[in-house]
Amino acid sequence: MNTLANPDSSTLLLFVKAECETCQLVVPAIEESMNAGNTIEILVQDDASFLNELGSISDLALEESFRWDVETTPTLIHVGADGELARVEGWDREGWQRLLNMPTLGSDLPEFQPGCGSKSREPGIHETLIAEYGEPGICSRKVELDKWDDEMESCFEHGWTDGLPVTPPTDARIVRMLQGTRRDSQEVIGKVPPNLAPVTVEKAAINAVMAGCKPEYFPVVLAALEAALEPVFTMHGLLCTTCFSSPVIVVNGPIAKQIGMNWGMNVLGQGNRANATIGRALQLIIRNVGGGIPGELDRSTLGGPGKFTFCFAEDEYSDPEWEPLSVSRGFERGQNTVTLFQGDGIQGFIDQRSRTPEELTKSLAMSLLAVGHVKLAEFTNAMLVISPEHHSIYKDAGWNRKKITDALHAAMRRPGSELIEGAQGVGEGVVASRESETINKFWPEGLLIVRAGGQAGLYSAICAGWTGGRFRDQSQPVTREIKL
Amino acid sequence: MTATALRDPTAETAEVNRPRKPPPQSLDDKTVALLDIGKMRGDEFVDRMEQLFAARGIATKRYKKPTNTRTAPVEIIQDIVSDVDIVVIALSDCGSCTSCSTHDLNDLDQLGIPGVNVLTEEFRHAFEQQCSKIGFGGASVYTPHPMQNRTTEQLHEFADSVFEEIVAAITSTNE
Repeated sequence: MNTLANPDSSTLLLFVKAECETCQLVVPAIEESMNAGNTIEILVQDDASFLNELGSISDLALEESFRWDVETTPTLIHVGADGELARVEGWDREGWQRLLNMPTLGSDLPEFQPGCGSKSREPGIHETLIAEYGEPGICSRKVELDKWDDEMESCFEHGWTDGLPVTPPTDARIVRMLQGTRRDSQEVIGKVPPNLAPVTVEKAAINAVMAGCKPEYFPVVLAALEAALEPVFTMHGLLCTTCFSSPVIVVNGPIAKQIGMNWGMNVLGQGNRANATIGRALQLIIRNVGGGIPGELDRSTLGGPGKFTFCFAEDEYSDPEWEPLSVSRGFERGQNTVTLFQGDGIQGFIDQRSRTPEELTKSLAMSLLAVGHVKLAEFTNAMLVISPEHHSIYKDAGWNRKKITDALHAAMRRPGSELIEGAQGVGEGVVASRESETINKFWPEGLLIVRAGGQAGLYSAICAGWTGGRFRDQSQPVTREIKL
Repeated sequence: MTATALRDPTAETAEVNRPRKPPPQSLDDKTVALLDIGKMRGDEFVDRMEQLFAARGIATKRYKKPTNTRTAPVEIIQDIVSDVDIVVIALSDCGSCTSCSTHDLNDLDQLGIPGVNVLTEEFRHAFEQQCSKIGFGGASVYTPHPMQNRTTEQLHEFADSVFEEIVAAITSTNE
């Protein structure tokens, strides 16, 4: 197989694909030009046997197509001593005639026929070519593997994974991920605890690759990361804590549908790529960039499955009247947001008997009171994921988010005498000085309600909050806009 | 089969620990900051520490973080740097307090205030890990674990039992 030598002065290059109809159409014009004495280097992108009779050479590796930035086949380029002089894309009779200085070339052919997309420009291929032959602009340390190394196993050996396999972060995949954002790859987003190490967009992209994200998820990952790094989210304490908790991510706005997130059946479970990998990307950034490694600075006594990933979307579709979580937290309907909550795994709530909103409120309150400990109050926040069937009991009675929230808080007020340390024979509890108070279970803003889940099932889920929430002003959930 | 190159997803931080600033040779005429990390019961330990320093004729000044789950606010760090010579940080008995208090120790050290972090024995490894990850050769002293369910008297006994060790950790003669 021939290869292209360094083009000397006045070379003609023609990039073609066998499967391109326009490339097939122009064959008589190529022959006519070569018969007239022109030497044309024909580079074939897809089938090395195409136009062999005219001396074609292979560009199956697409290196030349990439280097000459070919966007269309056929592309005819006139190269002079100082580089490119002119190019014509597709079949444009006048353009070819001018470039080849043959005023009657292709007179039997139509005046114009557009070409096909160059193979070197196909999604997935182009990023690989940038990584292979271009300037990927990636600054992170290169980790060279031996040719016999298994990429997946190497990631485990380097300690980069959460215990599950990760997608190996190759340059092509990182370049592709970075195309999911307009932000500069070297922009520093913040410092990731516990090591307070700076994280760039590039480092976030590497970890998003490893988590299995698609580039279109990346803006959500970046927004989640920014939310996690807001001081009031207390990511530092949340990571290092002996408690169970980790960030729970709720996505609101049209992006949830656009990237295929799940807000319906099995919403808190497995099976949806966007839900699973966005949450995981944040966790991997905290592990790999921040150094939050279990047993080292992640000191959780028991941990929880949410520490792999815990991300889902709110159902904003099956009941258009429902006020989304993001709107209740000050954003516009239709704005894309992430809300990060410091939460544990879920506690199931089963009630198949309540028929009225009053009954259901009492019933939910009983279960919510168990968050953390029945006798603790104003000690954690909580998230209630209310299913459509439970919510319909409220909706049918005309109750909106505010009315539900207020009623739940009211149903959870208790006399301090029942809650103080030692009361009811249990040492845990609130301080003795609050004995005569009536005490709320949660801070007024500390109960987050999200409507999600399958349409069938009188089950909801309670996600207990982290004990850091007892410092009301110091540790709070955070909502942030997703910037595309 | 061709060789592959991956990119490092970590912060690529240095592994060599930076030694802490040398503490003074004597505590005479020095003021020791007692930084309460804000964890429940920690104040009882710090109360006793204050008494022990006073009995030794060493001046102290108390500070308290708003929460053990975050690093100290800049204002507190700056107050300490302005007003005292050396710091004792107490009492970490959980993961978040250990990590955050170790950062506080490191931040103060870098601002010229050497000190010691007092933790429960259970968090020795976490302290060492945090120091190693941020490349800091910090000093530490350990009390028994757990401390949350102890009586005030027991917490005072913990303070008594580690006091000499703390004094040694904040004077250079024992370096």
